[in-house]
Amino acid sequence: MGKLYTFLKYFFITVWTVFVVAPFLWALTTSFKDFNSVNGGVTYIPWVDFEPNLEGWRVLIKSPAQGGVDIVEPYFNSLFVTCTASLVSIILGTLSAYALSRYTFKAGPIKNNDITFFFISQRIMPPIVLSIPFFLFLGAVNLLDSLFGLIVVYIVLLMPIAVWIMVDFFNKVPREIDETALIDGCNPYQAFYKVVLPNSIPGLIVAGMFCIIFGWIDFFFAFILTFTEVQLLPVKIVALNSSITPWWSLSASALVSVAPLIVVAFIVERYLSKGNLSGAIK
Amino acid sequence: MNFKHKYVFLFPGLFVLIGILIFPIIFVVRLSLSGWNSYNGLNFIGLENYVRLFTDDPRFWESFIRLSFLSVTTVTLQYVIGFALAHMVWKEIKFQRFFRVLFLIPMMTTPVIMTVIWRTFFHESLGPVNDLLQIFDVAPKWLTDPTLAKITVIIVEVWQWTPFMFLLLLAGLLSLPKEPFLAAAIDGASPIRKFIYVTFPLMAPISIGAIIIRLIEASKIMDTVYVLTSGGPGTSTETSSFYIFIKGLREFQMGYAASMSFTYLIIMIISLTVIAKVLTKLLLKE
Amino acid sequence: MNLVGENLSYKLTEELQLRKISFNFEKGKLYTILGRTLSGKTTLLKTIAGLLMPDSGSIRFEDKNFLEIPVWKRNIAMVYQQFINYPHLNVFENIAFPLKQRGLDPQKINDEVFKSLKLVGLEGYEKRKIQELSGGQQQRVSVARSLVKNAKILLLDEPLVNLDYKLREQLREEFKNIFVNGLSEESIVIFSTTDPREAMELNGEVIVLDEGRVLQVGAAKEIFENPKDLKVAAISNDPPMNILKADLGSNKIKFEDIEIDIPDHLSKLKDKHFNFGIRASDIELNDNGFEFEVELAEISGSETLLHLTRGNLKIITSIEEVMDFKIRDKVKINFKSNRAYAFDEVGNLASSPFRGSNV
Repeated sequence: MGKLYTFLKYFFITVWTVFVVAPFLWALTTSFKDFNSVNGGVTYIPWVDFEPNLEGWRVLIKSPAQGGVDIVEPYFNSLFVTCTASLVSIILGTLSAYALSRYTFKAGPIKNNDITFFFISQRIMPPIVLSIPFFLFLGAVNLLDSLFGLIVVYIVLLMPIAVWIMVDFFNKVPREIDETALIDGCNPYQAFYKVVLPNSIPGLIVAGMFCIIFGWIDFFFAFILTFTEVQLLPVKIVALNSSITPWWSLSASALVSVAPLIVVAFIVERYLSKGNLSGAIK
Repeated sequence: MNFKHKYVFLFPGLFVLIGILIFPIIFVVRLSLSGWNSYNGLNFIGLENYVRLFTDDPRFWESFIRLSFLSVTTVTLQYVIGFALAHMVWKEIKFQRFFRVLFLIPMMTTPVIMTVIWRTFFHESLGPVNDLLQIFDVAPKWLTDPTLAKITVIIVEVWQWTPFMFLLLLAGLLSLPKEPFLAAAIDGASPIRKFIYVTFPLMAPISIGAIIIRLIEASKIMDTVYVLTSGGPGTSTETSSFYIFIKGLREFQMGYAASMSFTYLIIMIISLTVIAKVLTKLLLKE
Repeated sequence: MNLVGENLSYKLTEELQLRKISFNFEKGKLYTILGRTLSGKTTLLKTIAGLLMPDSGSIRFEDKNFLEIPVWKRNIAMVYQQFINYPHLNVFENIAFPLKQRGLDPQKINDEVFKSLKLVGLEGYEKRKIQELSGGQQQRVSVARSLVKNAKILLLDEPLVNLDYKLREQLREEFKNIFVNGLSEESIVIFSTTDPREAMELNGEVIVLDEGRVLQVGAAKEIFENPKDLKVAAISNDPPMNILKADLGSNKIKFEDIEIDIPDHLSKLKDKHFNFGIRASDIELNDNGFEFEVELAEISGSETLLHLTRGNLKIITSIEEVMDFKIRDKVKINFKSNRAYAFDEVGNLASSPFRGSNV
């Protein structure tokens, strides 16, 4: 029994590992290929199956005029939009989450749980439902095709995540700590930033990581709400895909685009082991 | 505690969110009762859009059934695989951290960008999948056969989002109390019995949460479909979101798209509530 | 100048309950609030602290309406039953926190913190992280933090309940010293507890609280000697006082098939039927006594608690030594009837060994 289980376990893990790694490996080898090694039958191993070259990577830093794919600007646009929207969402979301975790609100039949649900339920809305009115709304205030417009929309996307994780985190921080701070002479704001915030860093990091992930990987809003002035990375890559961009530069730019967030996987794993995510989904 | 300071904490976030959303939401409702053309903008037509949707648009309902099928299948697969993976790297295992990080990575990658890669991966003549399948002398049409295209979408979705399920379930496993496992060990329970009678029941509330979260996200399937198959071949991979997108932003029937959006949202909320209730009943019998 | 509360009440909810509580706390004195879990002790302390706002009633202190002063300006100190400190700060920073908040100069803060560390016996620990300390040490830190402020009102909410037996005994002794010697004449100390022994040992003014009501107020000795009614007797004794339905005969007290001589202080009872109350410690093993069967024997600290039955009678006795009994053993016991209490049929004290029937 034990042996069979161990065998199956490692077998399954191996199969899954291969599955996870396969597209990355394929993209990596493809990025070093040239016309013949792509179109002249499928090739796998560099130097054996084909002679690798750096053309796919070189075009990344060339300007379009020189035949480059020009992903530098979309790259920074994506970084800027994701980080700004995440930051705003975390700040506002954390404040709201703190209020919802510590204080009692009541307005008619609406109580704390209803307000929390209102925040989180924004995730239920499919992007398409929001995108049409946003399209018209941003058009009306002249923010279509602008970074600022995108940031505004991304805040709606990300704040629910921040509230969701932080309400749960604050619920696990004993409220006696805040009370002690108040007794020791802090007003509620001071109690929050001198005592609660320094003890919430793990929660803030996890919430931050999730905001960054879901901001960075969004395609749909960027796709609908921007055209030519502003381009985000996913939109750019998809545009490359539908034009006649060769596979090698497509692969190279795709790899460069997904690379930065892999760091996030390490951070999430670290905080996961410390048990900082556990309560978030109950 | 009850100080007036509480409003200063709550209101900025709440009002920013409401402020950004209030216009679009009111607008969707208004728009759904309107016709739209570029000459005279909105013109009120009452429930006409809804009548058309409920009586004369099988394509919408087909796309909804397709979406239900795709979401339920992918989420089920993600749950089973995610649970298995989480369970495997939960306890002592060689290279534990390496596997945990590796299994998380796909969810950190942008779906559309990975789908661009998957397209080349499943390419009929130049992709590695069909190259390896040559051994068996077959060359499946991964992206152009109606049935296979659905399977391809499922494969890509499972690759992309099993990590999220894995993450939620592993976080849950790591938070479980130790005592029940000690008790089971003292009783000499076999690993299988331990899983059925201890681990799984303890994980039930977390499982429900994770499944609901994933269903919510899966119901938005759109990016992958757009890049991989564009809803094709024909309409065989067209989901609700994608159909609304086509009507609203391709054919610019904004009013009709809005009425579909609104209907779709309400169906989603109802069915998610029902699913949550059913799951709670199934998994939390005791 | 006193801390005076009048008619403090909350609308009844599950967690909060106070019903028309009034008090008058004098400076320089120690008050003990004795009550079971959920009797309203914590609610009362948090109300005094300003963390909770009563639905009605008033609190005045030093001629000011205390309810109008927010908690952070009240100059109080509070120690919780959970060991609450600031996890991100070390021991020194924890104790210095309230002083820094007041903006004292660093030299003064330093002096005060070390003085207070010495008082709680944690010299040399100032650089430690809170998580590196044992539960007892953590609680000492939070006591030090509340002492360092020289607060006019010091609230302690069951500060010893989460400590193990030995540590509790030791800290209780130390607390007594700290409260007697370490505090100025200007301070009011309010200590809440569920443990009657703790209340007796602290020997302050005791307020017996139950279901949000004050049942009795008095010196610890007074509460012990003359519990006002059955409820107070139950709350202020651990193990609870034995209460037996008894009849007063011409020269005997009878319960079930037992008859004992009437002690002097019970001879003048008005009613024939009454509740005979006797503490577990006032029942002794005696070879000439009544035979009971052991239902349960538990050893707690240096004493043995016996749960005994005889017919329908059930009593608990405590013996001041560790003895080994088996279930169903027969033991013979005697009631020290000169230490017995009588409560009338509605439960009020009718006669106590200390004050006879004039209660």
